Amino acid sequence: MNPNNILVVAHPDHPNYFEIIKHYKVRTIDEAINSFETYDLVIDLSPLRTQKKFLFLKELSRTTKAQIISDLTLCWGEWILKYSPQVKAAVSTLFFSPNNAIEFSLRDKSDLIGRKTITDFSEIIGSKPIEHKNLALSFHYPRTIAMIVNEAFFALGDKLATATDIDLAMKNGVNYPLGPFEWGEKIGLHNIAQLLEELSTITRDERYKLATELKLQAFKNF
Amino acid sequence: MKINSVIIIGAGTMGQGIAEWFTRQNCLVEMVDQNDEFALMSLERIHKNFDKHLAASKLTLSDVVHFKNNLKVKKLEQINPEADLVIEAIVENLEAKKKLFATLDQLLSPKCLVASNTSSFPITQLAQGLSQQRKKKFLGLHFFNPATVMKLVEVINGMETHPQYAQDLIEWFNQRQKVACLCADSPGFIVNRVARNFYGEALRAAETYDQEKFKEIDTVMREVGGFKMGPFELMDLIGIDINYNVTQSVYDAFFQEARFKPHRLQRDMVVANFLGKKTNKGFYHYES
Repeated sequence: MNPNNILVVAHPDHPNYFEIIKHYKVRTIDEAINSFETYDLVIDLSPLRTQKKFLFLKELSRTTKAQIISDLTLCWGEWILKYSPQVKAAVSTLFFSPNNAIEFSLRDKSDLIGRKTITDFSEIIGSKPIEHKNLALSFHYPRTIAMIVNEAFFALGDKLATATDIDLAMKNGVNYPLGPFEWGEKIGLHNIAQLLEELSTITRDERYKLATELKLQAFKNF
Repeated sequence: MKINSVIIIGAGTMGQGIAEWFTRQNCLVEMVDQNDEFALMSLERIHKNFDKHLAASKLTLSDVVHFKNNLKVKKLEQINPEADLVIEAIVENLEAKKKLFATLDQLLSPKCLVASNTSSFPITQLAQGLSQQRKKKFLGLHFFNPATVMKLVEVINGMETHPQYAQDLIEWFNQRQKVACLCADSPGFIVNRVARNFYGEALRAAETYDQEKFKEIDTVMREVGGFKMGPFELMDLIGIDINYNVTQSVYDAFFQEARFKPHRLQRDMVVANFLGKKTNKGFYHYES
């Protein structure tokens, strides 16, 4: 698919923003829903949680008939795919990956064009696409790493060890590529907090409760 | 701090690795196990490791001769009472450990530091029953498997440990290519606590016994997360029973905190003797 016929919706905080603007037309959320331009495809990388994402996709579907690939990192993926029919595929690009790889999931697993489009997009932003065939609650990597970072903040709050020692311990005791605090900084604590709050809202499971120190740091600008 | 002579109690995987590592630091090492034959087998394995390193030119012949001379198997009653450091690495059984420490307290000179390699018991609890003098010199030294390769040592003070010993040990280890981290006496210490949800969240993502999902999650965690192994292949390697027991122990120690809750799939697999590689059946199946 010609990149000129693709609209990307992305926030400047997106980890691949500078690569994306070199190759695609990029619009903000407001610009996208007020646009009268026509496209073959919209790649929506907006960092929204389920409810806001659903409303945005609904608005977007009023302005364009193009199919949509949407970033559902912070969303209940299965729900969005079920109730937003224009979304043909989900991707997860918001969380920094040490290997520069992204997860994606197709609505229709036999959709060769969708797979090729995501592969091309990944190549352009220098990422490796990894297919996720069973998207349910959330993508695998973000939910797992968010829980690890959250626990590190709980441990810090309990004065278990210093942040430096916790990072060193995880890298040298179990070969993690990054320590949890280093990971949190790369991903953005705000993203981690948003995902955990979303998982907590959807599941009502106490396990996703945010560590106080993480909450304090993640929402310091609000 | 000077550590010239070290006693390792327990010649299992961890004890053997710790003994080999200390020998390679030019310490005089005594290895003890309640089963003498088992200790001799561990000694033989360590000797073979030295020989392999010699063959690969990673050690010289004089190093190997020196190391082999410095490493002995002893009975508990024969240990050097003037050793600088004793590290316990026996089975994770509270009563067995407390009994051993009470004996060591009697056998060893008051100057000797005593440490436990426990991964699950509080250091303060293990020190109960020791003399007041020994409690000040009792601490946790948690190594990671394989101890000759993994750099981390968690150093844990009990409530009555004199903090200077931990500081001195950290400095000593850090001068010898280990990474020693000071950690409070809290369930799971650093690694076994912070890593819990690497497994816990993966189990919740999988929900049921589904090898296609295990494979997908493992692939994502390796390819996207940059982990060397995915959670399911790692649980199979560690042993699903061992991983489940650690999770259960941390969960109980935190008074059933939801984020440490074990998953029913772990329990069901332990019941079914699907324990991972060691039984050829786990999240994946292996050829015997």
